[in-house]
Amino acid sequence: MNINIEFYASLMKYLPPGKSRFRREVKVDDGITLSRLIEQYNIAEDQAHLVLVNGLFVNCGADRDNRALVEGDVVSIWPPVAGG
Amino acid sequence: MKPAQKDRFARHIRLPQIGEKGQQAILDASALIVGVGGLGSPAAMYLAAAGIGKLVLSDYDIVETSNLQRQIIHRNDAVGENKVESGRQTLKALSPDCEVGVIGYQMEADELRQVVDSVDIVLDCSDNYPTRFDVNRSCVETGTTLVTGAAIRLEGQIMNYQPAADSACYQCLYTHAYGAEESCELEGVLGPVVGVIGTLQALQALLILAGRGDALVNRLLLFDAYAMEWRAVTLPKNPDCPACGKA
Repeated sequence: MNINIEFYASLMKYLPPGKSRFRREVKVDDGITLSRLIEQYNIAEDQAHLVLVNGLFVNCGADRDNRALVEGDVVSIWPPVAGG
Repeated sequence: MKPAQKDRFARHIRLPQIGEKGQQAILDASALIVGVGGLGSPAAMYLAAAGIGKLVLSDYDIVETSNLQRQIIHRNDAVGENKVESGRQTLKALSPDCEVGVIGYQMEADELRQVVDSVDIVLDCSDNYPTRFDVNRSCVETGTTLVTGAAIRLEGQIMNYQPAADSACYQCLYTHAYGAEESCELEGVLGPVVGVIGTLQALQALLILAGRGDALVNRLLLFDAYAMEWRAVTLPKNPDCPACGKA
């Protein structure tokens, strides 16, 4: 199935080659979980801070482990930011 | 309001969202700024310029040359001074009527809670998670409004904790501990990125003090400066949050 991934800021380096600066349409296994998708792109758990599916926040841990993605979902990921 | 104040703040007063009533609320208000660095610099300067009655600056660092590309409250000749003292001098030059208190050491939890409880609003402009969680917890415990900003590299974020609206708090974002501590020293930061976020913190604080600041209730605003993308994220209150949850 096809989904869209958006990796922002310092996570953009994990995107496969493509035109957009932060967004790609990618093919993934049917029913892949959010946690598995994050792992597949080699993003460490503590770097996948803000994870959204179709614009809605998904907490880390069980919520991500249990969230099966469906065709057309948009997954957006931001790293943690604490500096000042 | 004195005639000189009406003149000084005429451009605020002209705005229907602020008016004389809103400006008076700002003049009567006090704020704690935690961290007088890249975020705290513009946040404190804009609040002082806007006429806030009292600012309390908290920071235990000294000004270093490498701070000056972004921490615009500190001048070249302040290198080696305490940041709070350097900040106080700039603010008094900018706005002599603004009362400026300084805390130049690391506060214990009890004192932090007391200081937070003594002000109308807190701006978290610090640079590390332990301080951010402590400040958030103090705000939750005392029912004090918090405007929290963060920035590093070319990215930033801002959100508010508004107890009057029973909003999500900063800790609602962090159910797991975050070991990955990143610093501007190691990662770098482009000066205006902290300027943008610190300025937005001042903007939010002024709107909240004037009774007009509900735009970031349960919303987190994310800024990717490289892509020039802003995203607003709906942030639901976490019932299991270690700071504001029911447990």
